[in-house]
Amino acid sequence: MRGGVPTKCHGPEGGRPMKRVIEGSHAVAEAVRLAKVQVISAYPITPQTHIVEILSEYCANGTMNARFLRVESEHSALAALIGAQSCGVRTFTATASQGLALMHELLHWTSGARLPIVMAEVNRALAPGWNIWTDQTDSLAQRDTGWIQMYCEDGQEVLDSVLQAYRLAELVYLPVMVVLDAFYLSHTYEPVDVPTEEEVDRFLPPYQPRFQVDTENPCAFGQLVPPGAYMKMRHNIATAMDEALRCLNEIQEEFHAIFQRRYDAVEAICCDDAEIILVTSGTITSTCRLVLKSLRERGEKAGILKMKLFRPFPVALVRKATSRAKKIAVIDRNFSFGASGIFAQELRAALCNVPDHPPVFGYITGIGGLDVTVELLEEIYWKTKNTTFPEQESIWMGI
Amino acid sequence: MNELANTIPLLVPHSSQSTESNKTGSWRFLRPLFDEKTSPCSAACPAGEDIARIEMLTAQGLFKEAWETILRENPFPSVCGRICPHPCEGVCNRREYDEAVAVHTVERFLAETASRYDLKPNVEKLTAKKQKVAVVGGGPAGLSAAYFLILLGYSCDVFEAMQEPGGILRWGIPLYRLPLSALRNDIAQIEARGVQIRTGQQVGREFPREAASRYDAVFLGCGHSRTVEIGITGEEMSAVVDGLTFLKQIRQGKITSLRGLSAIIGGGNTAIDVARSIVRLGGKALILYRRRRSDMPAFAAEVQMALEEGVELRELVAPVKISAENRQCVLTLQEMKVSNEDSRGRATVLPNEGKFREILVDRVFKATGAQPAETWFNPSGKEGTALTMTNALLVYPGTGPVLVFGGDLVNETKSVAHAVLSGKQAAMALDTFFQGSIEAILPRLHACLAGQGPALSMEIYMGGPRRFRNPHILSYGELNTDYFQFQPRITQPRLLREERLRSFEEIDLKISTNLAIREADRCFNCGICNQCDNCYMFCPDMAVIREKEGHERCINYDYCKGCGLCVVECPRNAMALREEDL
Repeated sequence: MRGGVPTKCHGPEGGRPMKRVIEGSHAVAEAVRLAKVQVISAYPITPQTHIVEILSEYCANGTMNARFLRVESEHSALAALIGAQSCGVRTFTATASQGLALMHELLHWTSGARLPIVMAEVNRALAPGWNIWTDQTDSLAQRDTGWIQMYCEDGQEVLDSVLQAYRLAELVYLPVMVVLDAFYLSHTYEPVDVPTEEEVDRFLPPYQPRFQVDTENPCAFGQLVPPGAYMKMRHNIATAMDEALRCLNEIQEEFHAIFQRRYDAVEAICCDDAEIILVTSGTITSTCRLVLKSLRERGEKAGILKMKLFRPFPVALVRKATSRAKKIAVIDRNFSFGASGIFAQELRAALCNVPDHPPVFGYITGIGGLDVTVELLEEIYWKTKNTTFPEQESIWMGI
Repeated sequence: MNELANTIPLLVPHSSQSTESNKTGSWRFLRPLFDEKTSPCSAACPAGEDIARIEMLTAQGLFKEAWETILRENPFPSVCGRICPHPCEGVCNRREYDEAVAVHTVERFLAETASRYDLKPNVEKLTAKKQKVAVVGGGPAGLSAAYFLILLGYSCDVFEAMQEPGGILRWGIPLYRLPLSALRNDIAQIEARGVQIRTGQQVGREFPREAASRYDAVFLGCGHSRTVEIGITGEEMSAVVDGLTFLKQIRQGKITSLRGLSAIIGGGNTAIDVARSIVRLGGKALILYRRRRSDMPAFAAEVQMALEEGVELRELVAPVKISAENRQCVLTLQEMKVSNEDSRGRATVLPNEGKFREILVDRVFKATGAQPAETWFNPSGKEGTALTMTNALLVYPGTGPVLVFGGDLVNETKSVAHAVLSGKQAAMALDTFFQGSIEAILPRLHACLAGQGPALSMEIYMGGPRRFRNPHILSYGELNTDYFQFQPRITQPRLLREERLRSFEEIDLKISTNLAIREADRCFNCGICNQCDNCYMFCPDMAVIREKEGHERCINYDYCKGCGLCVVECPRNAMALREEDL
């Protein structure tokens, strides 16, 4: 892997090239390479480091024609990219946990400045106590910063999502965070179809900014604006977020035409006749797929609603997928103190104006990287089935 | 889809109006300014060299400019780079960080570089004046006086008794400390400025009167060439030799070998020079000193090297009698004891009653201090108005030429740097006198001090940019040392001890260009701007302007908010923050 990209091996039938077994972090890096990113800046933090480690090698050995900016903090990394992206180039950064928290101020700036920066965010618990394992609170705590957020289930989805993220970001001029679970995804080796440059070029055209710093026509960005203009700018961002949902759908069509894979904002699995729908995100979805298979074999009318897109929140798709369900169980690997699991909050908010909507059960589990097993998910299913109405907002499982 | 996307509203605040319309300078109530201050080294240099600037130029590779900066204040860089006791290094702020900058090493390097490339200095000279000055004595004081008088526009003749100029530098300093080529380089530069040196011209006590028709002033810089008598029995014996005469005879080539044991009486630099010369001539040297080693007026480094070379030192002994025995001398020594110490830690000694000892030596050298060779060199008892300055004495008889006594005749500290100071002071005094009055001299000299002195600056006198320098002497605590890194002082390459003893070869070897640059780069450049551009980098309003011509920095007060970042981040305190007059 190190020191360059191996030549592609073709399968015996001479069709699509064989998949490569790579870890999730490297799936991100391969996508960044294929997207022909021009400026990368990042500060190392476990479990993100593998991503920029290999990218720095690509920049150093000429595999990528990109500038890698070493900086002293995540705050500076994003600040550097804000400058670079303003000059009209495609950029990338990656971080996790405390690093994302340190970027907070500039996350707002990025979306406010309408800069289509793409970031890989590896979900890691926030300290203290020090914990490097997966937990979604870091990224979900940034839900109001104006970044589009995509959550990934496996290595292939990681690679594809990064490519789609650039396409989407550069259409709606909003930044995108591609989120992946620490270790379960970032450090796990899986077979991944790494597309060719030609294929990617067909999907992702070069970035042609609608505005940029231009020394021929000097101007300043981001200066003082009066309240009326500011409100209009904010409304523009809200409109762009709405457009993002529509664009993502169209992007899937284009992507499917080239790669025969698609990832919708939500994936409703067996929801058509499901009485109980388990709402999942990240790698828990994969485990849940096994549970679903087993439950269905036993005649249980279960379903899964996989949440890929968190921002913009796909309200209509969620309402549609849950319209026939009797109960909804949201599994949150995160917690908003004093409230509840964050996905559960969003689900409740999406459904509250739907008459006679199903009750929403909130389950908190997997915090700080705790294993979410088949048994635990099945227990959640039975607990939901055997309870008429949620007795409390959040039920902590596995504690 | 791309076309669709282009319709997504994208309101991005941007302005093509320059921020220059926002004159943030109107917010200011504190005003930063470039305020260059005085480095401690430059104030301590008797020759008044602008050391911080010399080091800066050297570090920038501007060797000619650095050399010219020396020449504005001192015509003897080759000599001073070798034998000056460098008081500058003793007050270097860098001592409090790691070690002092080797200023003298860099000075010698610059002089050698100028000589190697046969550089012609561009040193400012004022318009010609009608007055003429005669200089008696072609030593460092006389040559300095003549050099500076020439720069000030006067014509000058130097009368030198010996066949070659240089005085004590030519005849009194051994070659291993000051090679002839080094001295000749400096003298050649002085002559190239227009100084006429007439060698073999012994002048008598009638000279000032005789000179009246041809000269408007006479500078007397004849030095101390006669050794002071000890005043003991047997001093008149032929085996008792005057140390200065001995050194002169070596330099004249009259002595090439000296066997046996020689005793040297004295503790000054002459005693050390005599002793170290003796070991090079094949003899053994024993220095007899009435106080302790730590009390010796000789430079400590010279004493140390003498001992390394095999010179022996006996402390706390005073000779009381010399007598002949066979073909040798018996030297009777009175043992001394320390009775007290003065405020500077120097011992006061008393005879240790009844304790004597005798030693047998082949000869005895006297090196107990020197005095003027002729009584008329003495300034006391001259008729007329006398003006006593720190390093020169001016006598205006009313008619006839003005007399100025300088160099060792008046200097308390007898070093080459002080001789330069004396010659410079005399030149300034004469110019002020010729162009103004005797009363104007002292205030004018005071205005030309670097810091509080002793440094006296000819550049300031001649109206050069150094006159804008704030006289405040920068202390270590006033520097922002965050911007400096530890770097050991250069190790002076030297001849091995064994090589030293074989000849009069110069002990200190040349250093390479990169070592010289590295050493000069160690200098903090206390108080002066070396164009590091910290101010420029830190200014949030881009109000620091770097002028392409002259590499100056200035502040655009239309935009400077007076935040003071530039002042705080200046590593070398070349800036100041003042309250605005509101």
